[in-house]
Amino acid sequence: MRTFEVFLKKAGKDEFRHVGAIDAADAELGVTLAREAYVRRGEGDDLWLVDRTHIVVGPPAFVRGNHDKPHRHNDGAAIAERRRQQRETA
Amino acid sequence: MIDLSPAAREHLLALADDEHMIGAQHATWIGVTPFLEEDLAFCSIAQDELGHALELYQLLTDDVDRFALLRDAADYRSCWFAERSTPEWSDALVRHWLYDHAERLRWQALAHSSVAEVAVLARLVDREESFHRQHADQLMRRLLTSGEARPIVIAALHRLLPIAVGIFDPVASERGAIDEGVVASSSADLAMSWRTTISQQLETLGVTIDWPVGTDEQRHRTVRDPGFAAFHDELREVISLDPGAVW
Repeated sequence: MRTFEVFLKKAGKDEFRHVGAIDAADAELGVTLAREAYVRRGEGDDLWLVDRTHIVVGPPAFVRGNHDKPHRHNDGAAIAERRRQQRETA
Repeated sequence: MIDLSPAAREHLLALADDEHMIGAQHATWIGVTPFLEEDLAFCSIAQDELGHALELYQLLTDDVDRFALLRDAADYRSCWFAERSTPEWSDALVRHWLYDHAERLRWQALAHSSVAEVAVLARLVDREESFHRQHADQLMRRLLTSGEARPIVIAALHRLLPIAVGIFDPVASERGAIDEGVVASSSADLAMSWRTTISQQLETLGVTIDWPVGTDEQRHRTVRDPGFAAFHDELREVISLDPGAVW
């Protein structure tokens, strides 16, 4: 049995979105079963199945390495404060 | 309910009862198929078949619940193949495959029916049925090319074929339905096409079968399968609590 990650997309400009996973004996049956599991009520118009073993996984320790760099976050507060000061001194 | 000749009525009743029984039999697998994904797909197919039965029953009666569930056994026109319980998953799957290929031919023979409502329905049903066949064909292909599953599926085929041929046991009034243009082909002609389709698919998978000779045990679908009474009781379990209840 293979595990596939399932992606759906509505017609138009929406992007493909991950909706879940499915177990199937092969890709052909994967598509058949995914249709019943995830598109029973017209939830999407296009379907992608990606074999989970084909997914490139970023090592978590490497991905989380940037959690301790608050200076890279921009919530807009610093800019708003700077603009407020500029207005007041203008 | 629409006006139908006795011959048209009996012919459509046979298909309606087959769809009802096969849908109800498939539905007994809810929650117990080998894996979740298959559970969803198989029970979805069950739901489709029950939907087709409902559409046909609505042409035959104004009180579908009573008609579908509370008739005397002798008044049903389903075939044994649709009525029989299949405790083994392999049998349920092989039956699904054999039945859906037969069903395609039966609905196609109604696509230009003189009963306009039936012709419209036949075209609608075909869309759903193509999914059923895809599902069954893919599973059969996969299992018959797997060393472990192949002998199990072949054993199921040999068990089921003797009653599967009874799908094409015609109702007594079939000639009348053909003459009236209700259905385009005789059951005997459809059976020939079905055997060709099934044999060809099996040959590509290296399986040869000897077609069993049909019997007249069903007596033009007027006699029920030995297990029908128990299954019928199960189907009526809820409605029997209060047959007069309005839903």
